[in-house]
Amino acid sequence: MVNLLRLPGARFLSHLAIVFVIWAALMRINDGIDPLMSYYLALAAMYATAMFGMVILVGLSGQVSLGNGALMAIGGYVFALTSLNWQTVPILGWQWNPIWSMIFAGFGGIAVGLLIGWIGARLRGPYLAGLTLGIAVGIPAIATRFPEIFGGETGLMLTVPYPAGGYAPAAETVTIDEAPLAEVPLEQAPLDEVPLEQAPLEQAPLDTETAGAGDMLTADNFPSAESSPAAGDMLTADNFPSAESSPSALALPSESALPNDIDPTAAGDALLAGSAFVLERWQASLAVTAACIIGFFALNLVRGRQGRIWRAVRDDEVAAAVSGISPAGSKISAFVVSSFFAAIAGAVFAQILSYVGPGAFGLGLSLSLLVGVVLGGRASLGGAIIGGVLLVALPQLVFNIAGDRGWPANVTDNAPNLVYGLLVVLVVLIAPGGILGSLKDGTRRLLAKSRSAK
Amino acid sequence: MTTFIDYLLGGLGSGAIIALMALALVLIWRSTRVVNFAQVGQAMFTTFIALSIQTWTGSWYVALIGALAAGAVLGVIVQYLVLRPVKRSDTSGAIIATFGVLIALQAAAGMIWPGGSQAFPQPFNNSGIEFAGRVWPISIYDFVVIGITALLVLGLTLLFTKTSLGLSMRAAAFNPEVARLSGVRVSRVLTFGWALAGSVGAVAGVLVAPVSTISPNSFDILLVFAFVAAVIGGLDSLIGAISIGVFTGLVISLVSGYSDSGNAPVVALLLLALNLILKPEGIFSHHKARSV
Repeated sequence: MVNLLRLPGARFLSHLAIVFVIWAALMRINDGIDPLMSYYLALAAMYATAMFGMVILVGLSGQVSLGNGALMAIGGYVFALTSLNWQTVPILGWQWNPIWSMIFAGFGGIAVGLLIGWIGARLRGPYLAGLTLGIAVGIPAIATRFPEIFGGETGLMLTVPYPAGGYAPAAETVTIDEAPLAEVPLEQAPLDEVPLEQAPLEQAPLDTETAGAGDMLTADNFPSAESSPAAGDMLTADNFPSAESSPSALALPSESALPNDIDPTAAGDALLAGSAFVLERWQASLAVTAACIIGFFALNLVRGRQGRIWRAVRDDEVAAAVSGISPAGSKISAFVVSSFFAAIAGAVFAQILSYVGPGAFGLGLSLSLLVGVVLGGRASLGGAIIGGVLLVALPQLVFNIAGDRGWPANVTDNAPNLVYGLLVVLVVLIAPGGILGSLKDGTRRLLAKSRSAK
Repeated sequence: MTTFIDYLLGGLGSGAIIALMALALVLIWRSTRVVNFAQVGQAMFTTFIALSIQTWTGSWYVALIGALAAGAVLGVIVQYLVLRPVKRSDTSGAIIATFGVLIALQAAAGMIWPGGSQAFPQPFNNSGIEFAGRVWPISIYDFVVIGITALLVLGLTLLFTKTSLGLSMRAAAFNPEVARLSGVRVSRVLTFGWALAGSVGAVAGVLVAPVSTISPNSFDILLVFAFVAAVIGGLDSLIGAISIGVFTGLVISLVSGYSDSGNAPVVALLLLALNLILKPEGIFSHHKARSV
């Protein structure tokens, strides 16, 4: 086993397998849950995407940044502007596709990350935090300053071009022609119909995967019957949670809102003739796929040579420099990688909200990313995933408790932030490794105890 | 030219306030090597307390003194409960913890004082003074702000240069180990520094509130300006914080006057970036900000 892992490419393949299993599991879960949960899943995956970059920047490279919300704004605005203004890709002349906007958003993030990294990466802790704080405040201000380009305070509305076939859970196909479950619906619903929107993204893991862990993708991994009636019902726009501004309203159970059986006319309303399109589910599949691809990049970086370089510079710059590492280069690269991730997350966020605006990418978002990654665990990528779930779940939990107790609105609205603030302080003081770090420590201690008991 | 001078005069008051907030940041940085990003949170909180005192007693002076005291107490609380227990090796941790305090304070203020932005009563006439046949863009209130700032700076200078407490503070900031060996009770001195900074920040908050409004987030932008001023001033120089603070206020006034106040944060960011590229250790300091 040990030898197998040492084969060239073995680690790459094992990462591919891990990410693929997570992706497949999440996509399957996405088909089984109700649309509101899918929406939360989309948000959590989007946060996790951005926080993979925070783990690299804050945890591995030791640079506290508050600017990643603004870097998400770069990605979001690039996505919005290119998708609103382009019919074809400039110079190349190819038919425009949202995927191009995603790619350009990523490039935008890289460019801005280089600039900030160049200014900031040679600075020590508080200077950098202050600089990035200025960026978090300044970049949304730029967006308000040029309303004719960026839409000013109101932002830009996006008509996200949904995939032509829609994100159709298998149910629809089943009801129409009763095709054998094994053939059409299983593989094709989640894999082939979504990719109209995000084909290259999807295929990256899939193609290479067939060589490695392709067997994981057996037919029965994919949804069939369970995604039927309940899944098809929430297609209309009125169910679509527009922004996270009113989470307490979102928390209301929405299953009872619509009839529980497939209604062909309702399906027709949902932009797409005849197919059971569930917007939230499509958003979640987009966000999860983006998160998995970014997570795969991050995993290879963190566990590879570059990860060791980042950690070496964080722990002792002089020693790292003596070993032939450029500390400045290492810090700048962490900035570039994290802003690339943030920009992709921003592009996903823009598609989830169907909107970009300075309010959505303000200082609050930057602080949320820092809070999430600190609470989840800033030292490893798992912490980013925990952080993403926390950022979505914790407010809901607090709102639910507050709702049960009948607290007034001003208390309820501020309760999540109070909890965040106190938790951040507590985590820094008591468990600097965050939730994940504490879990790891705990299991290590238990193992050590059981070993010494023997 | 007259408009230029008008804009400069109009920026003096806000410059003094930025200078005070920058001063609070510098006071803490000098002694504990922590940039207290929660400073504006503390100032916002004490300003709300001052507002409550003001509506209760009707006296602005009582409110100001109340804010001073509350600022000192809050500073000590934050240092005792949060910053002191952070491991000294965990520099990121200290920064993150101050942001945790900021988030918690803002949320707590939103709970205690609901209703969003609130107006702080004008203690003095805030309309332009009429003099020599025209109205100048500077008010009685601006003079009060500048006067209080000058008094505080004078008091701090005397404290640091003429008193033994000030000497111990400088010693503890310069080299805690040696100071401890020479009989300075370093931790007590540090706590005093936090109380002092808390009070200075609280004064800045009470002074800025009448000319803006007060809400849990309304001082965020002040944090950015104050940080820019403190860093350009060298982060451990009191004179640097004061002079660059006033300078930042003037620049912001010019930018707002000639273009639009919305450009101010962008210009502040550009100033900071320029400073960090050209002279990252700041104008009034000799210590190193860059490590490589």
